[in-house]
Amino acid sequence: MRHARFHFDIRDDDRFTRDDEGKEFADVKAARKEAVETGASIARDVFMSGSADHVVVDVRDDHDPLIKISITLNVEDPVRPASKKTA
Amino acid sequence: MPSDAIRAALLKRLRANSGITEDDVSEILALPIIVRQYVPEQTVVGDGDRATECCLIAEGFAVRSKTIADGKRQILSIHIPGEIPDLMSLFLHVMDHDLVALTPCTLGFIAHEALQRLHHRRPKVAEIFWRDTLIDAAMFREWIVNVGQRSAPARLAHVMAELRERLRVIGRIDGNTFDMPLTQEQLGDALGITAVHVNRVVKQLREDGIVELQRGRAIVLNEAKFWELADFDNRYLHQSPTT
Repeated sequence: MRHARFHFDIRDDDRFTRDDEGKEFADVKAARKEAVETGASIARDVFMSGSADHVVVDVRDDHDPLIKISITLNVEDPVRPASKKTA
Repeated sequence: MPSDAIRAALLKRLRANSGITEDDVSEILALPIIVRQYVPEQTVVGDGDRATECCLIAEGFAVRSKTIADGKRQILSIHIPGEIPDLMSLFLHVMDHDLVALTPCTLGFIAHEALQRLHHRRPKVAEIFWRDTLIDAAMFREWIVNVGQRSAPARLAHVMAELRERLRVIGRIDGNTFDMPLTQEQLGDALGITAVHVNRVVKQLREDGIVELQRGRAIVLNEAKFWELADFDNRYLHQSPTT
C-alpha cells in the first residue's frame, strides 16, 4: 500500500532536476531504496559517459528534507592525473 | 466493434509486412473471433497458464512481462492494435511470461484449433504468421541490446522510436505525436530503471528540446536530435515483404 508522497531532487555536475510532483511510497524505507537505486543508475550513465563524477539524490516529503544520497566517482591513477570530463 | 474492425489493424500490418494475398485475407476475415474487454493492468494470460486461444489486439495497448522472486517486473515488449502477442502459445502450450493489458483493451480471441485448421488448409498463412513470430524475436533481440547497452535517455528514445514506427504502419501517428500510454513506473519496468530515474530522463529530454512525454502522449520536438539519441535503425522490424 502506498500512502506517503516523497520528492526526489537530483543533481549531478551538469544538471539539477527538481521533483515538484513527487511519487508515493509505502514508507521512508521504500523511498530510500528508490533513491539509492536511482542514484546508482544515474551514476552509471554519467560516470560512463564522463559527463559528471558526482550524483546527489535529495529525498524530502512535502515539508522537510529526509535523506541525502551522495555518490562520487573517485579514480586514483598515479600514471595519469585525474581529469574530469574525459568523454 | 464490427467484426471487420477487429481485424482491420492486423490486415493493415500483414499487408505492409508480408505481402499477403487477398485470398488469404478473406481466410483471416473468416476466422471465428470472440471479443472481450480488458481493463488496465488486467492479466490476459498469465505465466504458467495453459493457453487454448491466441489474442488479437483490436484496440488498446498491452505488454508482455516477467516478474522475478523479489517482485520486480521486467516489461519485455509493448503491443499495439493488429498484433497477436501470444501467437507462440499455438506451439508453446504453457505460458512462460505474462500478457497484461496496459490500457482498456478490446481483444479478439481466436481458438488454437481454428488457427491450426487454417494453417493446414493455407500453408501461406502459416508462413505469414511464422514470419510474424520471427519479427517478434528480432524485436526481442533489439530490446536486449537496448536495455543492456544504451544509457537511460537513449533507451527511452529507442523504445519510443520503435513504437512510433510500428504505430505508423497501422496509421496511428498524428504528425510528430503518437500514443505511448505507459506510466513512469511501467516505463521503469520496461527500461530497467526506477520510476524516479524515468521522471528525470523525461524532464531532461523535454528540457533539451528532444521529445516530450506527457499523459501517455509522445511528441517529438526535434526529429534530428531524437533520431541521433535513439540510435534507431528500423531494419530489424522488417516492415516490407522484401526485407
